[in-house]
Amino acid sequence: MANNIQAKIVVLGSGPGGYTAAFRAADLMGEGVVLVERYSVLGGVCLNVGCIPSKALLHTAAMITEAAEMSKHGVDFGKPNISIDKVRENKDGVVNRLTGGLAQMAKMRKVQVVEGEGKFTGPNTLEVTGKNACTITFEHAIIAAGSRPVKLPFFPEDPRIIDSTGALELSDIPKRMLVVGGGIIGLEMATVYQSLGAQITVVELTDYILPGVDRDIATPLYKFIKPKYENILLKTKVTGAEAKKDGIWVTFEGEQAPKSPERFDKVLVAVGRVPNGKDIDADKAGVKVDERGFVPVDKQMRTNVNHIFAIGDIVGNPMLAHKAMPEGRIAAEVISGKKHFFDPKCIPNVAYTDPEVAWVGLTEEQAKAQGVDYDKGVFPWVASGRALGNGRPEGVTKMIFDKKTHRVLGAGIVGTHAGDLISEVCLAIEMGAEAEDISLTIHPHPTLPESIAIATELFEGTATDLMNKKRD
Amino acid sequence: MKEVTVPDIGNYSGVEIIEIAVKPGDVVKKEDTLLTLETEKATMDVPSPFDGVVKEMKVKLGDKVSQGSLIVMMEETTSEAVKIQAPVVQTAQAPAPVVAPVAPVKSAEPAIETQTIAVPDTGGANEVEVIEVGVKAGDDIKIDATLITLESEKASMDIPSPYAGKVESVLVKVGDKVKMGTPIVVMKARMEAAPTPAAVQVATPAPVQAAPAQQAPTPVRQAEVFHDANTAHAGPATRRLARELGVDLGKVPGTGPKGRIITTDIHIFVKAALQALQQGGGGLSVEKAPEIDFSQWGAIDVKPLSRIKKWTAKNLHRNWVTIPHVTQFDEADIGELELFRQENKQAAEEMGVKLTPLIFIMKAVVSGLKAFPQFNASLAANGNDLVYKKYFHIGIAVDTPNGLVVPVVRDVDNKGLFDLAKELSEISAKARDGKLKSAEMTGSSMSISSLGGIGGTAFTPIINAPDVAILGVSKAQLKPVYVKDAFVPRKMLPLSLSYDHRVIDGAEAARFTVHVVEQLQDIRKLLL
Repeated sequence: MANNIQAKIVVLGSGPGGYTAAFRAADLMGEGVVLVERYSVLGGVCLNVGCIPSKALLHTAAMITEAAEMSKHGVDFGKPNISIDKVRENKDGVVNRLTGGLAQMAKMRKVQVVEGEGKFTGPNTLEVTGKNACTITFEHAIIAAGSRPVKLPFFPEDPRIIDSTGALELSDIPKRMLVVGGGIIGLEMATVYQSLGAQITVVELTDYILPGVDRDIATPLYKFIKPKYENILLKTKVTGAEAKKDGIWVTFEGEQAPKSPERFDKVLVAVGRVPNGKDIDADKAGVKVDERGFVPVDKQMRTNVNHIFAIGDIVGNPMLAHKAMPEGRIAAEVISGKKHFFDPKCIPNVAYTDPEVAWVGLTEEQAKAQGVDYDKGVFPWVASGRALGNGRPEGVTKMIFDKKTHRVLGAGIVGTHAGDLISEVCLAIEMGAEAEDISLTIHPHPTLPESIAIATELFEGTATDLMNKKRD
Repeated sequence: MKEVTVPDIGNYSGVEIIEIAVKPGDVVKKEDTLLTLETEKATMDVPSPFDGVVKEMKVKLGDKVSQGSLIVMMEETTSEAVKIQAPVVQTAQAPAPVVAPVAPVKSAEPAIETQTIAVPDTGGANEVEVIEVGVKAGDDIKIDATLITLESEKASMDIPSPYAGKVESVLVKVGDKVKMGTPIVVMKARMEAAPTPAAVQVATPAPVQAAPAQQAPTPVRQAEVFHDANTAHAGPATRRLARELGVDLGKVPGTGPKGRIITTDIHIFVKAALQALQQGGGGLSVEKAPEIDFSQWGAIDVKPLSRIKKWTAKNLHRNWVTIPHVTQFDEADIGELELFRQENKQAAEEMGVKLTPLIFIMKAVVSGLKAFPQFNASLAANGNDLVYKKYFHIGIAVDTPNGLVVPVVRDVDNKGLFDLAKELSEISAKARDGKLKSAEMTGSSMSISSLGGIGGTAFTPIINAPDVAILGVSKAQLKPVYVKDAFVPRKMLPLSLSYDHRVIDGAEAARFTVHVVEQLQDIRKLLL
């Protein structure tokens, strides 16, 4: 590989945002797009150590749980015989297939992939160190350098203390596992490890799991996992950890803290992610980075430097692949001369736990805090024939509307496949749909998406599957 | 309990309530004023349609209402029909450019009535083709639902239903040629909303609106702020398009369900904005002339403007509003010139030409252009440069049966008087026959508009851009002129020089005019 590369567009980072930006740019502008990735495979956190492998494992977990559930239906599969190596192999197979596909597509699009760590050396130059060390001179740059898990200072360096990446490696199934952080990542990994046989303790600093989600939506998940887990410690924090031969001894403090240090075979730290803005020498290009490491951008994903753009986790929350990807498109399109803007009305969130939790738009708590004149329709899945048939009636669908205009403001859904259901509400919010637009749209029966229509009818007072609220 | 709604109040909507005369509990008689509305033209009282007791006010002061808006709930003392339109009493209605409300809607009309809807006045277009039929028998349609779409050469227009109701039968099909009065559909109309008179004027065949054909009813309502751009009812595709075109979504009326803005609305909005820009010329924001039905004051006849007239109108209008005109007046004593002309009349006739004063004026103007080159110039489009012309072509305004044209006589400086006379008569004949080519009407240095053969003492001609000046010539008259201690009768020719003040200063214009006058007073100077 040449030591000096001339690029029309250089994309720093090949996660979902980065590769989307690079591919879109190549489709719009042809050759001259260079994609810099520090690892040997494309795809970033999402494909390699995030969304995709976790979903492969979560599917395995779901099958184990469902097979066990079937005994209630009169079909007993017996105790599962789990071969952890094969589980891992399957997960890696999924990842390899996707990342391999990316490499192929990069080739077909004539996107030049450069392996190594890129840092800016000037407003139009990037120095890459590593396998394909080189200097890249670019006309435009798209920073897509992502984020990394937060490390807690008081945890010692020990292979038994892992972050989400370590958890997804699935080196073994610990007997007793502590999950620090009751957010999306922590609870997803807890779901996997619990179904594979680990005894799980979750410790969460705030007063409930899944901070940011309405309590009534998080509750069914809490109730579902509480009896399965060894412990869920709320309003509790970890104050210390000691690596001993027999395990990691963790001390707690807080309302539900165990009195004395507890021993765990593995500790997963999942207390959030921080942007990598400080690791790319952005200042040498004149690009502003805030004190937390985020790169501020405008609605066209442009940084304070006109020809340098930034997308994905590094520009701010929520740190989600499905936010990064459209941002990547916008950046590429703007560079190619299109007058596009990143202008969504909502970005959905999904916890792929069991049951899943999904929410979009305004939560009820936000509506209250912002003084929005709202009303809601709440449909408990116990009244859904399909949910009952599935043996999973713990779900709830809650729709939030503007009281005056009846416009859809948000939704919270908990239950199996909630992450698949939420899309309808995303579309409704984007299209400015009103309650009637949803309730008059015929939803197939009997399905889980029906719950969105019935929740809407409950808001309108026109439901027939349940008693409507009395109205004044 | 009965609903009382705003009756037919002409073509107004969103009219403000400026006074409320009743309150709940009031006993009112039929025709008592319930409230007063104010449009920009008039105030009007809305009277009670029946005797009764006011139960509940549904509006408050300052509310904006339209025909059909619910205003008050009343208990009627004698029971009649279910829903009633209050007849309107209009006071102080200025001669408004709207179709006057038809006879007040009969109160106790049967709720459902069979109506035949005909093509309304389509604005001057004759037979037009039906390109789309929007309804079919059995459809239950809303008021203003599109019945059919017509297409003339210039525009397509939707014909809205004046009623809500059920379509009984459709009388036209795609491809049919229709004109005003052609029946379109028969429908069982629900009378809760009174017929909008404008759309169903089928009565007299003659009164066709003078509006040009391209003024088809566009779906764009007046540009007003509809909503906050951030909360505008528009999907992502529409929002993206608006961004790309720089459209403020807050100003776009939505035509989708529940007022949703769809991409078509953005296209229409931009089109309308561009049209408005063209009509306004250079960003002048002027009120659009109202559409007036002149037949309301007497018999009229409407004929389309000729092609030339329309074209001239556009150019003259542009020149008039974009060029700062000043007109300089002067008089030339043409006694000597006339003498010379009379002496050579015979010779000219033998040559088969007419030696008119205009020929001499053309020569005098060329002399002026040579002396004052800034008059033989044009302002470059960039506004920074002046283009000086080294040629001397004179445009001559010619009155023809079809309108004004300005053929250009080339190289006037190099042509003799007889040659010019010959060319002028040829080119004038060509103009009158409509045989001028466009190349023969461009490239002038300056133009002359002579009304001398008709009359008048002075006028202010409009500059024929890109020229920077035009010389107007009025009728020469014998006038007493004070010469050597006495008044003597002299033949005086009035001249009116309009010039572009961006290019030419007042003093220069005065000097130019004096120069031209001097040439005409002593035509020997033309030889110099």
